[in-house]
Amino acid sequence: MQHDATLKVDNLTVDLLTSKTAVRPVDGVSYSVRKGECLAIVGESGSGKTVMNFAPLGLMPAGVSTELSGSVKFNGRELIGLEDGELRHIRGKSIGFIFQDPMSALNPVRRIGRQIAEMAELHLGLSPSAAEARALELIKLVGIPDPEARLRQYPHELSGGLRQRVVIAIALAGEPKLLIADEPTTALDVTVQAQILRLLKDLRKRLDMAMILITHDMGVVASSADDIVVMYAARAVERGPVEEVLTQPRHPYTRALINAIPKSSDTVGTRFRGLSGMPPILGAPNPGCAFAPRCDLAVAECRHTRPLMSQATHSTVRFACPIANTESEIHGTGTCS
Amino acid sequence: MLRYTGNRLQQSVVLLFLASVVCFTLVVSSPGNVAVLIAELRGMIGSPGYVEQIEQEIGLNKPLLIRYADWLGNVIQGDFGISYRTGHDVNADIMNRITVTGMLVAGGAVVATVASLVLGFIGAFWPGGITDRAVRGFALVGASTPTFFVGALVIFMFAVILNLVPAVGFNGLKSWILPWITVAVLPAAVLSRVVRVGLEEAMASPYVLTAKSKGLSRFRIMFRDALPNITPIYINALGTQIGLMTAAAIIVEPLFAWQGMGDYFLNGVRFRDFMVVQACLLLFLTFFIVVNLVVDLTVMATDPRIRRQRSGA
Repeated sequence: MQHDATLKVDNLTVDLLTSKTAVRPVDGVSYSVRKGECLAIVGESGSGKTVMNFAPLGLMPAGVSTELSGSVKFNGRELIGLEDGELRHIRGKSIGFIFQDPMSALNPVRRIGRQIAEMAELHLGLSPSAAEARALELIKLVGIPDPEARLRQYPHELSGGLRQRVVIAIALAGEPKLLIADEPTTALDVTVQAQILRLLKDLRKRLDMAMILITHDMGVVASSADDIVVMYAARAVERGPVEEVLTQPRHPYTRALINAIPKSSDTVGTRFRGLSGMPPILGAPNPGCAFAPRCDLAVAECRHTRPLMSQATHSTVRFACPIANTESEIHGTGTCS
Repeated sequence: MLRYTGNRLQQSVVLLFLASVVCFTLVVSSPGNVAVLIAELRGMIGSPGYVEQIEQEIGLNKPLLIRYADWLGNVIQGDFGISYRTGHDVNADIMNRITVTGMLVAGGAVVATVASLVLGFIGAFWPGGITDRAVRGFALVGASTPTFFVGALVIFMFAVILNLVPAVGFNGLKSWILPWITVAVLPAAVLSRVVRVGLEEAMASPYVLTAKSKGLSRFRIMFRDALPNITPIYINALGTQIGLMTAAAIIVEPLFAWQGMGDYFLNGVRFRDFMVVQACLLLFLTFFIVVNLVVDLTVMATDPRIRRQRSGA
């Protein structure tokens, strides 16, 4: 089951070192995604979900040195340890990227047609005119009306939703096997969000791609993803099929996260059920469970021993909380509240 | 876009008018009586009534406003008058000299543009490296060294010690190289920083992350994605520097014995030849205003966000 994974990440740890600071935004995370499937990675801001996907592919800002350990296999090929020159051939060609803010992700002074076509020139070896034709095809594929005119326009002449479609067209131009979408709908308004998600789902099925969807929106997860990884403070806390994790969250953090979503049964004036406390600072090493200070179930042991991911009883879900795991064994089910 | 161009043209005409007022005011308010100087030049300083006669002759006894109106009226018709010192037609003198200065500024601008783009790009491409630090060092030294010293230095190095090019004169490419370098050092230093800093900023922007995710090489990203985005600030800075080069011409031309506008202006000032001074000042200011106009229109033409907005309105 795991050997045919498009992307298989094992025990990935990322350290970011600047001249003054060192942080570990990703700490021993494992997951995988198969062809045609969508994996959602959720977690709050700063939980490491973006770095986890960008760092192994060399997409980190200049001036930060990145140290990686563990294994990231793309179609069986190990990415960790590759030179940037080799990673470049994978970026864009085999793996496409969609970014959070389409307003700034496109170059403001270059025509949209060129920004799509250069991908086809670079990765498919097309001539400039053939690449333009390919750009036109792609722009039709992502459902942009009046495609010929759009190719000659500049990004500022398009709405946010259309720009995000252009970003998607760019990501698809190299005919990738894997699409990594970093909060693709966060900067868009709600009606456009739904359109973009539908488009992504449709394209994934049609082009038989694997997709990683980085988000903090549980609604997006429920409608789009097959599997889910929940991140907290650089670590994965729970991983499994979406329908199980969302309906029967096992890890205390996942439970609190899902419990925090406002329900239609809430009476008017009900306070938001947020999590008390603050997420930990990543610079300080933590020998125990990172969630322990905010956890209702925490015992003294939680602060000293790091909980490992282990399989839940009667389920394919894996999560990192021995306390909740034994508890569910006693009660026979993983449901909470 | 047409409307914007029209507005800018209007502004420029107003500025030109103000510039003419400034030129005239500055010159008439400078100390010394021209009539006395002319009398001295003609060796008639002792003869009584001669100074008054000259004042009458060149119209110094008329009210200021009338003098200004006379001068401006002639200037608009393209007549800058006659040099009091030499009796030459100022127009003819300018026609002879303007090509020399034009040559100096155009050559200097090309050298400064090429040098600043290459140096700034290299610095930004290998940030923190030895080339980056060398470029930064050049920028610091270049921007803080006075032009006359640079001129003396390059003459000493390339003409005296290495004997590669002539030290002075205006005949052929070989004799133009040193003045071009001299006039280009300061602008090249300033502009290389503009390129270096601008590229660094642009390379941190989200569209560059997109370009990286496309698998493009760093060189290509910097050249095709980042560089076009700093064009507006670069052209603005370049325009200012080209304007300032005319000021540098006043120093550089005498240094290399070039008889251009800078040299002409300097002589004019020395002898209070105020028809010459007024003409030179007005031409310098006109050049500044025209350069600024060209800069604004070029920036508009190169930035699609501005270009399309104006045409859409």
